[in-house]
Amino acid sequence: MYWKPNPLLIIGLAAASAPIIAQAKIYVSVEQAQKVLFPNKTLTKNPIIITDDLQDKMRSASSIRHPFQGDRVWRTTDGGWFIVDEVVGKHEMITYAVALSPTGAVTGIEILDYVESYGYEVAEAQWRNQFIGKTAADPIKLNKDIQNIGGATLSCKHLTDGVKRVAVLYDLALKSQAQASKAK
Amino acid sequence: MIRCKPLLGTFVEIFTPDGGYSSNAIENAFLAIAEVQALMGFHNPESELSDINARCYLEAVRIHPWTAKVLTIAQEIHLHSDGLFNCGIGHHLVASGLLPRHFNHQAIGRVEQFGGIEHLQFLESTLVRSRLPLCLDLGGIAKGFAVDLAVNILQSAGVQSGSVNAGGDLRVFGSEAQNIQIRNPANPHELINLGNMCEGAIATSSLYFAKRDEYLKSYMVNPINHDHVESSESYSVIAKECIYADALTKIVSISRNTDHPCLAHFSAQAITIPNTLTT
Repeated sequence: MYWKPNPLLIIGLAAASAPIIAQAKIYVSVEQAQKVLFPNKTLTKNPIIITDDLQDKMRSASSIRHPFQGDRVWRTTDGGWFIVDEVVGKHEMITYAVALSPTGAVTGIEILDYVESYGYEVAEAQWRNQFIGKTAADPIKLNKDIQNIGGATLSCKHLTDGVKRVAVLYDLALKSQAQASKAK
Repeated sequence: MIRCKPLLGTFVEIFTPDGGYSSNAIENAFLAIAEVQALMGFHNPESELSDINARCYLEAVRIHPWTAKVLTIAQEIHLHSDGLFNCGIGHHLVASGLLPRHFNHQAIGRVEQFGGIEHLQFLESTLVRSRLPLCLDLGGIAKGFAVDLAVNILQSAGVQSGSVNAGGDLRVFGSEAQNIQIRNPANPHELINLGNMCEGAIATSSLYFAKRDEYLKSYMVNPINHDHVESSESYSVIAKECIYADALTKIVSISRNTDHPCLAHFSAQAITIPNTLTT
């Protein structure tokens, strides 16, 4: 073990704590997440029209209030699904991808980005701006941005609610589409 | 490459600087962490830990070598901390609504009849039983173990350097020193620069995220007097391996002693961050 304390820690904690704000972490792009969750498979974009009724059902099943965007749904040639969604909580905003088997079982979850906020004070446009220029095209820059943040555990309970609403989406919209395409 | 998955009730990040080369190793490390979750999760009634809690006072229970290792280390730290570390306090957390109730504890007996980790006997290296009913919660140390396991898998696959971070239980490896930041307990969105580390682990115990639901009691229970320990500071422990770092944070935050003799025994150091720190 090699451990070199920040010399300012010895002088005093206040000096050590130049306020670095934990804001945004970008992990993988949509394309990278597709490769990770469906290796060697071809995905085709398969947007879903989210009716008000479906939106309501997804909301009541998951307690997530902000609307689901139906344009971030992909399908593999063998019937699997890849869905990108967000959970916007009081304390965090998380973009994540869920992989579903042709029968709707969750086969993987990957976090795309994670943004901490001070509740609702951070306007959506503002935090979105942090992602500009940070795409798969410049992975080196992303790697340099790595922060090793220690601290108490953040719960992923909120994300579990998000995955619940993707399961509802499958039951109410994707499943019937799979059956319809089989019948053709 | 840096990836993140929801596992162990938190967010687990795995970072390696060498792009796509180590992607298989990262995948295998995540699979191992998922297996630790399946074996040692308290929330899952089907986990091996739930099986131990349900049956081990009735009959001997065969367990996975990983579970056996975590339980052995839990006993080792219990012994060296004079009982200040004890993962046999699950029934107190169940009673406070902090953990789910999988089976009827009233059927077993009163709270005082539960044993602790010291009552778990190893009949063989992977066969355990207990004289008393147990309600073990491996929580943090299982997380620390999972981090260590993931690092071992990455290293065995030839990955030279990187880090694994399970919601703040963090281990770095490789010859290049990595900067470590820690959350300010007075404002968890602010980070304090702690210094540089290579080949080491840091775990932190603090209640700033747990106390978002103000009606809930603290999940930190003193195993000797059964008090729920409230604290507004943050305690971090730096050790060689994450499982020890995590267990030792419990000892430091319950005793509020950053010079507890147990730290020296495990070659660890503790850091307290007061919550009065403002920038």
